[in-house]
Amino acid sequence: MGIKSRKRSEEIVLYIIKVIVAVIMFTPIVWIVTGGFKTLTEFTTSGSIIPEKATLENFRYIFVNSDIWKYLRNTFILMFGTTLGTLVSSSLVAYPLARMEFRGKNLVFGIIIATMMIPNIALIIPQYIMFGKIGWLDSLLPMIVPAWFAYPYNTFLFRQFFRTIPRELDEAAIIDGCSRPQLFFKVLVPLTKPIYATIAVLSCVFWWNELTQPVFYINSDRWRTMTIALMTSYMYTGGNTFVINWASIMAAATLMIIPPMILYFCGSKYLVGGIKTTGLK
Amino acid sequence: MTRRKRDNRTAFFFILPWLIGFICFTCFPVGFMVRTSLTNRKLNGLSKFVGLANYRNMLKSSTFLNSLKVTIMFTIIMVIVTTIWAIIMALLLNRKQRLNGIFQFCYFLPSVIPSVALAYAFRTIFGKDAGLLNGLLGFFRGAPVSINWLYDKHTVYLVVFFITLFTYNTGQMMLIFRSGLSDVPAELYEASDLDGATNTQKFFSITLPMISPLVLFNAVNGCISALNGSFALLYPLTGESGDPNGKTQVLSLLIYKEAFSNMKVGYACALSVALFILAALFGIAIFAISKKTVYYEN
Repeated sequence: MGIKSRKRSEEIVLYIIKVIVAVIMFTPIVWIVTGGFKTLTEFTTSGSIIPEKATLENFRYIFVNSDIWKYLRNTFILMFGTTLGTLVSSSLVAYPLARMEFRGKNLVFGIIIATMMIPNIALIIPQYIMFGKIGWLDSLLPMIVPAWFAYPYNTFLFRQFFRTIPRELDEAAIIDGCSRPQLFFKVLVPLTKPIYATIAVLSCVFWWNELTQPVFYINSDRWRTMTIALMTSYMYTGGNTFVINWASIMAAATLMIIPPMILYFCGSKYLVGGIKTTGLK
Repeated sequence: MTRRKRDNRTAFFFILPWLIGFICFTCFPVGFMVRTSLTNRKLNGLSKFVGLANYRNMLKSSTFLNSLKVTIMFTIIMVIVTTIWAIIMALLLNRKQRLNGIFQFCYFLPSVIPSVALAYAFRTIFGKDAGLLNGLLGFFRGAPVSINWLYDKHTVYLVVFFITLFTYNTGQMMLIFRSGLSDVPAELYEASDLDGATNTQKFFSITLPMISPLVLFNAVNGCISALNGSFALLYPLTGESGDPNGKTQVLSLLIYKEAFSNMKVGYACALSVALFILAALFGIAIFAISKKTVYYEN
């Protein structure tokens, strides 16, 4: 076999592997979406991926029998409250770390790196008690308020990005009589819009998907988010608590996949770019 | 006022939000956690100082020891499995071929969908009666198959680690590796072509050393997200008791169960301290290993 035909067959094999991996990775999503259009009977008796007779009944069921609008509203409040908070606070904190000299800078940066390594879940019980004492349980406050006090991870990302802008710019602006806050808001922020967009996209995806903190902090229906609703509200068919209503769960899950999918299409530049920035030290 | 002093003061005001957050949401909870772990505090707030009793009970409890074992195993295997899978996907995408954009979309999309949706999809795909996998196996075998993948102690790990391939962390790693791979200088491959190196040789002697700093970064990140994210994946998948028979009960699930089902908050705090220490040990271990193996280009 000549080198050319060997190269060609190699390409074909590679292509086939790519397709197989794509099928494996995409199967759960297809399973969720088609599952939403199956009847419950079909879902619980047949393992076929394509619905025999597509029905919209499940979607009607979740809109009629649950407060889905309320859950969506709560999720959006959570998503926007935390994202706005982290954009403002993390970028403010990152500014002096990236572009100023001051006493204790290394110490602060060291602590920020170290706290990035603490898994949230290890501190969630003491935080639960603490928030209970100030009456914040069963609301979105335990999640939104901390976001306004700079997450270490996002601060780190902002710092990395701010460092790429030449420092001479600051010097020039200061000589022109610009104060540090003016410099930050009028010069740096407009120049670094991409990193704001990136962190906004990452944060929105994170909070849209977040299950752990709502499970700990929220126990009534009032502030339930979509992720908890998926675990509780559609779980059982009306009247019969022993039959899990899988078809409705899949329909609700289908609705939940849509926003991240849209974010991928519109913001893939930011999503991909942001994740790559994290890898470059 | 000198410029230096003024800068110190301005910087302090910029840092202030973090400082307040660090004190209120990190330092205070850590102190409070240690203090509560020395009491028998219940969910309703009643508590009495009991010294180290919680820690003694913890070390005697077979549930805790099992959970510790499961957590360590889950974290290590998940990091290894997802890192390898992410490298494979990145290598595949690194070879420019037609429809690469669509492949990347298919490889990455599962990682941005909610873990609870993913968990439910897999609970039914690996379901006993109408699961996709049993259906497929039945089709090829010509007779119905009914394996209860998630409740069988022989298959449950297989399934759980398979599912970790679809988590956010894997997609994130894949993208980081992709950018790393495209930065590997092409001359290195050309030179090795002249020496007649095989693809495997090229991978282990060029590609892997060149991306080793990224492997380290991903391993650190992977550990944290395995400890942190396992709750959101396993809670909807196998429940707070980690079915079957505690086989998948990682520490975070046990903490939740002790605090909310058994209402023993003091004990849950002692468990949290254990998780905290475990996370620190993982961090130290990875940096110790990486000092020996990671190649930094200067």
